[in-house]
Amino acid sequence: MPGTRETQDYREIQEIEIILDDVDSGPPVPPGGRDGGEDQNRRPQPEPPAAGRRYHTAILLAIVSITIFFMALTTAFLVRKTGQDWVPAELPPVIWLNTIVLLASSATMELSRHRLSAGDVRGFRNFWQLTTALGVLFLVGQLLAWGQLVAQGVFVASNPASSFFYIFTAAHGIHLLGGVCALMYVLVHAFKRTEAPRALAAEVTSYYWHFMDGLWVFLVALLYLGK
Amino acid sequence: MVTHDSGAQDFPDRRNNRFAAAIFRTDHKTIGLRYLWLALFSVFVGVTASLIMRLEVVWPVAHLSLFSHFGPVPDRYAVLTLLHGSLMVFMVLTTAPQAGFATYLLPSQIGARDVAFPKLSALAFWATAFSFLGMVAAFFLTPAAGITVWMASVAVFCAAALLVAVNLGVTVIDLRAKGMTLPRLPITVWAWCVNAILGMLIFSSLLAVCVCLLADRFLGTQIFGSWAFPAQLSTYSQADTFIPEWQRLFWFFTQAQVYVAMIPCFGLVTHVLATLARRPVWMYRPVVLAICGFGVLGFCIWGEHLFVNGLNPSASLTFSRLAAALGFPAIIFVVSWFGTLWGGQARATTSMLFTLGFISLFLSGGLSGLILARHDLQSTSARGDFVAGHFHLVMGVAAAFAMLAGLFFWFPKMFGRPLDERLGKLHFWLTFAGVYCVFMPMHWMGLITYTSVTSQDPAMTLATESFLGTFVTVAILFTTAAQTFFVANFVRSLRRSAQPAEPNPWRATTLEWACQSPVAQEGLVSRETVVYRGAYEFGAEDCGGVAAADFFPQHVPLDVAGITAPHESRVNGESAPPSSQPAGAG
Repeated sequence: MPGTRETQDYREIQEIEIILDDVDSGPPVPPGGRDGGEDQNRRPQPEPPAAGRRYHTAILLAIVSITIFFMALTTAFLVRKTGQDWVPAELPPVIWLNTIVLLASSATMELSRHRLSAGDVRGFRNFWQLTTALGVLFLVGQLLAWGQLVAQGVFVASNPASSFFYIFTAAHGIHLLGGVCALMYVLVHAFKRTEAPRALAAEVTSYYWHFMDGLWVFLVALLYLGK
Repeated sequence: MVTHDSGAQDFPDRRNNRFAAAIFRTDHKTIGLRYLWLALFSVFVGVTASLIMRLEVVWPVAHLSLFSHFGPVPDRYAVLTLLHGSLMVFMVLTTAPQAGFATYLLPSQIGARDVAFPKLSALAFWATAFSFLGMVAAFFLTPAAGITVWMASVAVFCAAALLVAVNLGVTVIDLRAKGMTLPRLPITVWAWCVNAILGMLIFSSLLAVCVCLLADRFLGTQIFGSWAFPAQLSTYSQADTFIPEWQRLFWFFTQAQVYVAMIPCFGLVTHVLATLARRPVWMYRPVVLAICGFGVLGFCIWGEHLFVNGLNPSASLTFSRLAAALGFPAIIFVVSWFGTLWGGQARATTSMLFTLGFISLFLSGGLSGLILARHDLQSTSARGDFVAGHFHLVMGVAAAFAMLAGLFFWFPKMFGRPLDERLGKLHFWLTFAGVYCVFMPMHWMGLITYTSVTSQDPAMTLATESFLGTFVTVAILFTTAAQTFFVANFVRSLRRSAQPAEPNPWRATTLEWACQSPVAQEGLVSRETVVYRGAYEFGAEDCGGVAAADFFPQHVPLDVAGITAPHESRVNGESAPPSSQPAGAG
């Protein structure tokens, strides 16, 4: 049939372009969004401010979801604690140091964002790097904590209490590792004009980071008081 | 053009490859359709599994060579049950109404060009497909390996479902078109949004359970105690401590999962019913509240399943009351459906028939739910076919009818051609009769099993039971055979034997019909979409017969429509600008 080939080619081109669109564009430009919908025929256009709202919403919904995840584990912990084979476990001492490191990282992150909003990009980068370093330090500290437990002969399968310690720290650590990746992304990514601004990325990352911080305080309290 | 929006021209030669192109497509219509295809395929695998189970139950002598190939028959039978249940619940009931229909339709219905995070949506689909493969693979492995693979698959599925839920939630909250205020949202969008939030809560708890189970299997932890190895238990009380812990977490997910499957179906049915009956959804606001009520109550009644296993009696009563309270939102829905139909000009199209079939199944299945919600009655019949009949009728078959109604309704949108009405009606009547023949006797069997404990004549009871068992199996065979009409219809329309559909065959008001079908690659709706009115403005008789059209699309301004919409007050002026109230007000 005449024309079929052309149609096919056209479709192919469209497909490729769509992929490129999605691979390269970073955050997609909002569809007929309430505030940004009218001027989309021009390109390249900066992301309208309202479009950033989706990242806020997404991170808040994700936080709710992660909270439920840890609440389910907490429920399991509290019920399991009533079992007859429960042996209380001491927390490894380095945990307290780690907690201080993580709290400090939240503080440096706020300092960093403060610098960014004041227009001091250099100060922002310094404090942001410090935050990232503290985050990595915390993760290393958690590994040390596991090392201390192993040195005492307490393994994952030793008793239910130790199992919970390892599972809680591992689950939190994996989530925090995601946070560290986000921190690095904000630091190294070259934000284009068509994308959400760096300040927004920093803000959204900070929500997650502070949440991880608070979650850790909760988990330490749970493990310490609930042993 | 969509495709030029963001610097695509920078990389002209990348991925010049059709296969990669297909894999990496992130367009919401493509992803939505892929979810629907996955669900369709799963439903056939799942039905086949149930068919084999029934045959095995009724004619155990007829050795199915399939079984003996893969190991001991009792093991295979147990895995078959698992396969049937997990495919139906995860891959069909969770995937099709929410991930499938919502990913396809939701952005268009709210006037967005795509979901909030298209790449996450594509990632979620591939994760789901991967977990489907895992669940099927579990059938062919030894029990120990199979159950591990199955758990890992469920964990992957949970992660994917969380991505879908967050994505859809954000899309509804932040990407509505100008003028699409909350009271103007189609009921479908409300249902998907509430459901996304509910899904976000329960799938993360199931993910936590999967993590614990996998840790128990791989790391030697004892989070669920020695629950998996009853032989090693020294005392029964020990088992008593740990099993409820597992059950709480499990039912916390599973009871709410029922509503995760049903809520979008309510949305689909309400929407299709109103459009086909040419009437606004009756009691729109109470219906929205009912959807929210289902979300909240559905989340709170997990303890209902612990009646048999011992709970604090007052907790038992609380859960019983909460479960019974689900009757309120259910009644609001039913009243709204009948109110919408009342005086409407319902056309008996196939999607209308499936909608009415849904209502019928929901009512008859829901009645036995009221019985099961009684904490004092339930324990006697809890383990019987009564429960199986109840939840298959409500959750399985009713949901399938809602999906079929949606499929017949939106098929012209998806593929540009309608499904055949005559074949569709034939399919409907055969299926409708078939499912009643399957599941009503199952209720009866459950009651007989209970009464057989005290029966005067055990032989008589046994004979009745065996007759019913055979009857059910034959009915399943019949119903499954009837699906060939559906497949034939489907294939016929896909192969373009049917006439092309009009752009808006149902004369619907919502935004997804505002462009031609099937939709070209650019967004379903033009970018300048502005919404001027609610989603269900039907019925011209209120205007004194001036209007030729009996419906008012959401995106058409009043001066274009020529007259005042029947349900919008004239006080606002004929060409009132779109509501200047920001859509995020709610």
